[in-house]
Amino acid sequence: MADEFTEEELVLPQCKYEYLDHTADVQLHAWGDSLKEAFEQCGIAMYGYMTELDTVEIKQCSDIEATGHDLESLLFHFLDELLFLFSCEPFLICSKVTITEFVTEGEELRIKCKCYGEEFTLGKHPQGTEVKAITYSAMQIVNEPEKNRFEVFVIIDI
Amino acid sequence: MVVRQYQEELQYLEKISPYSWRIKKGFQPNMNVEGIFYVNQKLEKLMLDELRNACRPGMVGGFLPGVKQIANVAALPGIVGRSVGLPDVHSGYGFAIGNMAAFDVNNPESIVSPGGVGFDINCGVRLLRTNLFEQDVMPVKEHLAQSLFDHIPVGVGSKGIIPMNAKDLEEALEMGMDWSLREGYIWAEDKEHCEEYGRMLNADPAKVSMRAKKRGLPQLGTLGAGNHYAEIQVVDEIFDKWSACKMGIEEKGQICVMIHSGSRGFGHQVATDALVQMEKAMKRDNIETNDRQLACARINSAEGQDYLKSMAAAANFAWVNRSSMTFLSRQAFAKQFHMTPDDLDMHVIYDVSHNIAKVEEHIVDGKPKTLLVHRKGSTRAFPPHHPLIPVDYQVTGQPVLIGGTMGTCSYVLTGTEQGMLETFGSTCHGAGRALSRAKSRRNLDYTDVLRKLEYMGISIRVASPKLVMEEAPESYKNVTDVVDTCHAAGISKKCIKLRPIAVIKG
Repeated sequence: MADEFTEEELVLPQCKYEYLDHTADVQLHAWGDSLKEAFEQCGIAMYGYMTELDTVEIKQCSDIEATGHDLESLLFHFLDELLFLFSCEPFLICSKVTITEFVTEGEELRIKCKCYGEEFTLGKHPQGTEVKAITYSAMQIVNEPEKNRFEVFVIIDI
Repeated sequence: MVVRQYQEELQYLEKISPYSWRIKKGFQPNMNVEGIFYVNQKLEKLMLDELRNACRPGMVGGFLPGVKQIANVAALPGIVGRSVGLPDVHSGYGFAIGNMAAFDVNNPESIVSPGGVGFDINCGVRLLRTNLFEQDVMPVKEHLAQSLFDHIPVGVGSKGIIPMNAKDLEEALEMGMDWSLREGYIWAEDKEHCEEYGRMLNADPAKVSMRAKKRGLPQLGTLGAGNHYAEIQVVDEIFDKWSACKMGIEEKGQICVMIHSGSRGFGHQVATDALVQMEKAMKRDNIETNDRQLACARINSAEGQDYLKSMAAAANFAWVNRSSMTFLSRQAFAKQFHMTPDDLDMHVIYDVSHNIAKVEEHIVDGKPKTLLVHRKGSTRAFPPHHPLIPVDYQVTGQPVLIGGTMGTCSYVLTGTEQGMLETFGSTCHGAGRALSRAKSRRNLDYTDVLRKLEYMGISIRVASPKLVMEEAPESYKNVTDVVDTCHAAGISKKCIKLRPIAVIKG
């Protein structure tokens, strides 16, 4: 686990996500200039529901990997890994995630990702809502490079 | 989804009594049985509005209304009787929340669906009584609320304080409340007043992923967030004096403690893992459903059995969890009143599970059948003399605990014979959401919500005050409407009404 970060690593991304209506749960809507960015933003959007992200300092970094057989399952497993990172050791809450490898073609789709943040600490980080699970419910991935449209919609169970 | 105009959709719905509607076959494709939902006039409007909204042209990115989900469940292989929507029904993941469906275990086509249980496996409600009265608690109410809040870890990111290692967890998963008893956290009689005696015997921790165990370990003995809470409540009204007496509730003003929680991250991960497995099983066994979210597997397939065994482990986790918080609540009261929990008569009245699937015996078309009953946001409500309810309640019927929402009333009902016949011994579970969380956040202000609770004389301790509007009473259906509908329809009977005086939540 690295303690030293380059300046570039400490720069936080712009906010490109919002929370949409759903009766019992919440729908994350994230977008970006590439599908990779939309995925990253979606991850941040989930963390943003758990606490106020401006309280999170970048003190440590964890690497995760996720695989899937199509884009939907890739996104599902990617978010599930991020949730897992928060739910037990190292209890990481992230304000920045950077996908370093993004394979969206072939037999097995794959993501490798660096997650920047710190251990969730009561008292320092305001408690938001707990995310129970990621769902496939009404999941939509808009991947239209020709129109420069990259968006994802995910419902998380809370 | 079949796309029709709202008026055409209504052709498939028929009001068959002042409190129930029939969903005819054809409302959704391939329905094996009909659907039914229980509503009164007010709830009926909410239900039909949801359908009307979904029929509006140009609806995209939306979700299926509850009534469509009930019909999709009616199309699952092996379903018997009817797919039932309870009065608190609203749109959920695959199954509606407040949806009950039974499948014939001896039909090889029959399925089990994690969506029919929900992510929070064995989420449920426990009610403790005390021999204190409102006037005993009022002078120390704020202290007591704070003390409960200090004792019970709440909210996102909180960790349990009951010492546990990986080996303890394995044992707890297998033994449920027997583990809590062995470790000295509960009383032997607590188990008696719990569905399944607080232990599902088919639990197999070996079928549970390491991932679920890792998520579960730090969270055992924590309340959670969202709609989970611990409340100090006062008996506000007694409808059935005799049954209330059997539960140790003597008169108005008596103090109770209600705990609403589930299996935390452990159960959530078990459900997530099962959904992934079942996608594969569905392809292999060519199981067709109307909705991808209704992932399921045949009961007798490896995936189906593995799910039932891991679900049982999650159910045990939830009982241990509620038991740990029972222990902490008893400690908080004992410290406050300088009396032992025993002297405070802090017995468990009952503990219900409202997200679970169980194998039960029921009569279908005059013949006894073994069924796998899914209850998602629905509570078991067995009638008097049923063999599976404890001896103390043999004559009253099973106590059914209906948790309200922050600041509203809660109820104790009892099971009825009619419920056994109409809904496989099932009834509602709570208020059921009416507003989406995002809408609540936009329309309500958290300071107003907190002020209103204060005005009502309710002490509140909440880990995330800025989110209380999501759980504000305005965001939910009126629990009294829900309970009155169940009572009027005869599927359960009102016994006690409780009013909160202190709320602890995530």
